[in-house]
Amino acid sequence: MNRRPPPVLRPRGVAALELVLFAAAVIALWCVPVFVKKPYVLHMGVILFLAVIQGQAWNVVGGYAGQYSVGHAAYFGVGAYTTMMLLELHHIAPWWGLGAAIANGVLLSLIIGTITFRLRGPYFVLASISMAEILRYAFLYYKDLTRGAEGFLLSEIPTLHLFGQEFEFVTKRPFYFVTLGLAAITIVANHLVQHSKLGYYFQAIREDQDAASSLGIGLTLYKSVALAISAAFTALSGGIYAMFVKFIAPDLVFGIDVSVQFVLICIIGGIGTIYGPVIGAMVLVPLSEVLRNPRGLVQVGLASPDSSFVQFVEAHLSNAHLLVYGVLVVVVILFAPDGVLGLLRRAGARLRRRREAQGEAGAAGA
Amino acid sequence: MVAFAQSVPGAVLILGGGVPALAGTELGPRMMVFLQSVLSGVLVGGVYALIGIGLTMIFGVMRVTNFAHGELVMLGMYLTWGLFHWLRLDPFLSIVLVAPALFLWGAFLQRAFVNRVLDALPQNQILLTIGLGLVMSNGVMLAFTSDYRILTTSYSSASYDLAGISVSKPLLYAFLVTVAITVLLYGFLLRTDTGQAIRATAQDREAAQLMGINVRWTSMLAFGIGAALAGAAGALISPTYYIFPQVGSAFTLKAFVIVVLGGMGSVVGATLGGVIIGLTESLAAVYIAGGLKDLVVFVLFLALLVFKPSGLLGKTRA
Amino acid sequence: MSKLLASALAALAIALPDAGQAQVKIGFINSITGPEAPIGENLTNGVDLAVEDLRKKGVNVTVVRQDDTGKPQVAMSAMEQLATGDEVAVVVGPYTSASSNAVAKLAQQYKVPQIVPAAAKEEITRQGYTYVYRLNAPAHQYAQSLIDAALAFGKPRSIAFVYESTDFGTSVTAAGKAYAKAKGLRIVADETYQKGAPDYRSTLTKIKAAGPDLVFMVSYVADAILLMRQSREVGLKPQAFLGGGAGFDTAQFESERDISTHVFSVTQWTPESSPASQEFERRYRARFGKKPTYHAACAYVATLVAGETAAKAGGDRRKIQAALGSGRWSGILGDVKFETYEGFTNQNKLVMPVIQYQGGRSVTVFPPAVVKAKPVYPFPGWR
Repeated sequence: MNRRPPPVLRPRGVAALELVLFAAAVIALWCVPVFVKKPYVLHMGVILFLAVIQGQAWNVVGGYAGQYSVGHAAYFGVGAYTTMMLLELHHIAPWWGLGAAIANGVLLSLIIGTITFRLRGPYFVLASISMAEILRYAFLYYKDLTRGAEGFLLSEIPTLHLFGQEFEFVTKRPFYFVTLGLAAITIVANHLVQHSKLGYYFQAIREDQDAASSLGIGLTLYKSVALAISAAFTALSGGIYAMFVKFIAPDLVFGIDVSVQFVLICIIGGIGTIYGPVIGAMVLVPLSEVLRNPRGLVQVGLASPDSSFVQFVEAHLSNAHLLVYGVLVVVVILFAPDGVLGLLRRAGARLRRRREAQGEAGAAGA
Repeated sequence: MVAFAQSVPGAVLILGGGVPALAGTELGPRMMVFLQSVLSGVLVGGVYALIGIGLTMIFGVMRVTNFAHGELVMLGMYLTWGLFHWLRLDPFLSIVLVAPALFLWGAFLQRAFVNRVLDALPQNQILLTIGLGLVMSNGVMLAFTSDYRILTTSYSSASYDLAGISVSKPLLYAFLVTVAITVLLYGFLLRTDTGQAIRATAQDREAAQLMGINVRWTSMLAFGIGAALAGAAGALISPTYYIFPQVGSAFTLKAFVIVVLGGMGSVVGATLGGVIIGLTESLAAVYIAGGLKDLVVFVLFLALLVFKPSGLLGKTRA
Repeated sequence: MSKLLASALAALAIALPDAGQAQVKIGFINSITGPEAPIGENLTNGVDLAVEDLRKKGVNVTVVRQDDTGKPQVAMSAMEQLATGDEVAVVVGPYTSASSNAVAKLAQQYKVPQIVPAAAKEEITRQGYTYVYRLNAPAHQYAQSLIDAALAFGKPRSIAFVYESTDFGTSVTAAGKAYAKAKGLRIVADETYQKGAPDYRSTLTKIKAAGPDLVFMVSYVADAILLMRQSREVGLKPQAFLGGGAGFDTAQFESERDISTHVFSVTQWTPESSPASQEFERRYRARFGKKPTYHAACAYVATLVAGETAAKAGGDRRKIQAALGSGRWSGILGDVKFETYEGFTNQNKLVMPVIQYQGGRSVTVFPPAVVKAKPVYPFPGWR
């Protein structure tokens, strides 16, 4: 990524190169299941792509518009429950259910936005957490509707008939392709938002709410738009998560740790950037998945079952994989507030300067 | 702006008001249920208040919202459990060790981590403390696994009978210790130079600095005291609670509700807020449903945030 | 000691025909850590003893252990790992109802035989899963045994339910409410709670005001202890406290004498039930220093059955499934046979005895056929 563009390319060419690289990465990932059959690898891929979607979604409202919601589990949970309940109780296939999930997510975002957007700073954060907690307790309590703490166990996803072909959602493979495709779409969508008028309004609100307001930018309107976009993608990821994991319960999808996780993906990668959430997901997901289930490494052939690493991790770390999140966020906030991407950029800039300096020295010498 | 301990007698009156002289009166079963739940609510609320006061002090002095506060309570609980389990030390006595230990830990956290983000965006401060909280709860999980632990003392299920209303002994002791700690704290804040320095820093950090107050030291002290109070609350509640690594997050949220309710930075407000939340939970469990008591608290909280964001006692928003 | 051991083994030998030298891999999902860990420990101990016995009989078992921390989603990924990664022949566990039910679905999907040792949720064996076998009695029997016992001891007219809102709690309570209604008991309270914030004083006060004759509680360990402590605090005094197994039948609960005395609980197994069971208790106490609970006994038998069957079938999952369906075993849980009846598939029929804590230990008080002591009824009050 920090490779220097060939000298022939003009700035527009840089964007074209970025596009080519992006497309190449997506195509390469698309081909992975052809060569790798291990379920563990595909599993990791799905979780990774979901994390990218979640990170990108949070980025719209948290990164661009600067509204630090720590209650995004609300949209995630509503998306998960909508898709799951439509399928389990009304036999509506998830591809319709996901549409309903998005609709419910957006609707919820309008309600939550109306209540919370008049608050700022820590008050906004606390209000967003409260909304998610209220939903969690409500889903736990109203058992007749939601089955309470028992949650929902997925029975079976129907076969999808599309273009005369049949798609079965039994193995992890179809989920891999679906989530990869959606992650790519989310990245493109984020790119479009960032470079649109909307994106500039968002950033104006982030930099200075009062100034943005005096410029005639409707604060509540644009904050709500940002939250709606964010909620839509978060709810979508929730619906897919429910179908993929096959079990949901209030504590699992509405928990505060879910909300925190979304924020951390962005913070660790680099907040308010397109590739920040991608990098954040690439750092966080493999780390926590390996710690959670070190036997996966055995399955892939990276470690032997009786290696001391696997045994140590299994005995001590597998239940505390969130520890990594904690350590990472502390380190990032203290030493790299711009995230890993910021670090890479700075390192890249330094390298470039050094090279340029060397180049000049060389030219002078010649 | 920041209403620090000003009306000590008033607060004590509120705290003391929960144990009315009822002896000798005949009460109907409905009245009985009501009084019983009011009493339990006030007693539990006292311990909540202690947690809230710690949080509000940290916020008042540093303007940092400490999202790891519940984890400090959790550490207090584990320390108490450890002292009881290995040294057979009574949980109420162990406060003498737990509070200073948490004070040191809090001061260390402030010096090593929080101090570095005092000028950063509030979001980053929040994330830093969330991270510290995750490290603490998962660190404890590594050391002690996620098992639920219970303290069994001779008075674990004992109670006094007050005209048919039962007063839980461990809760009553906890409440009394809470009152003592609160009174001591008020005295410290109002009567000592250090206390005045803390209050001055809370009121205006820059002005305090100009007046020669060592703000760095004061901040460390305030964070230490906040942590010590959280630890003490953990010790006090452990005989009637169970202990597990994730127990903190519920306390963090509760503490925030309490602090916002009382007005951020106000010690009197937090005391009042704690009792109100204890009461709300207890009454909601009886008159609405046990499973909805936390939901009721959060709805109340949101309503307050929206309609009176400065808190019950506050004048303007910080 | 060795003689006693030999006799116990002889008792087993009748049940389990010699399998010769064989190597099998069994998966074991359990709540090793987490809220249910104190119960999970009993299951682990039971499995350990079974492995010893299997080795002595020439069955060389490897147990692949997975911790589900009491969470269904973790249990599910553990099951996936066991089915596709570790390639185990058969799975024993998980402990909790929620986890067992979630894993059962995967067992059926991956065609891995699963033996459920101690999960109560009714539906686990009511979904027609042909790869899922349950050793213990399901939820409705918990409720029936307890209510039948109370009706045999006295004349209760009303009942209150307090239970954790989990698969286990709701399943047993739903069955309990239906049975109570059928028996003409008035339901005066129906209170669920979430684990994690154990302040039940208000709820218990409310129940006290309703004045039920019976208080029926369904909880795991920590909540069982705190519920009873706070019942004592608020002075709740019904004719009987009925504990629905799980947390009410553990060594921890028994040791809290202030609050456990005179509480009734339903159980899957008691050490007093047979000479083989007594021998199991002796051996267990010698090894682990505490009383074995029904969880330990169930896990022990489940592992023996799993190991023997897998060894005979050469580790082939299909053959194991067939053998489990047609086999018969007998041991400390009495006769074991997985049958299909009244909507259940592959369900072992087991009569659940009722115990009462008297003088710091549990004694069997119901049904009459297995009674070892007279019940104390009604509840004489708090000490």
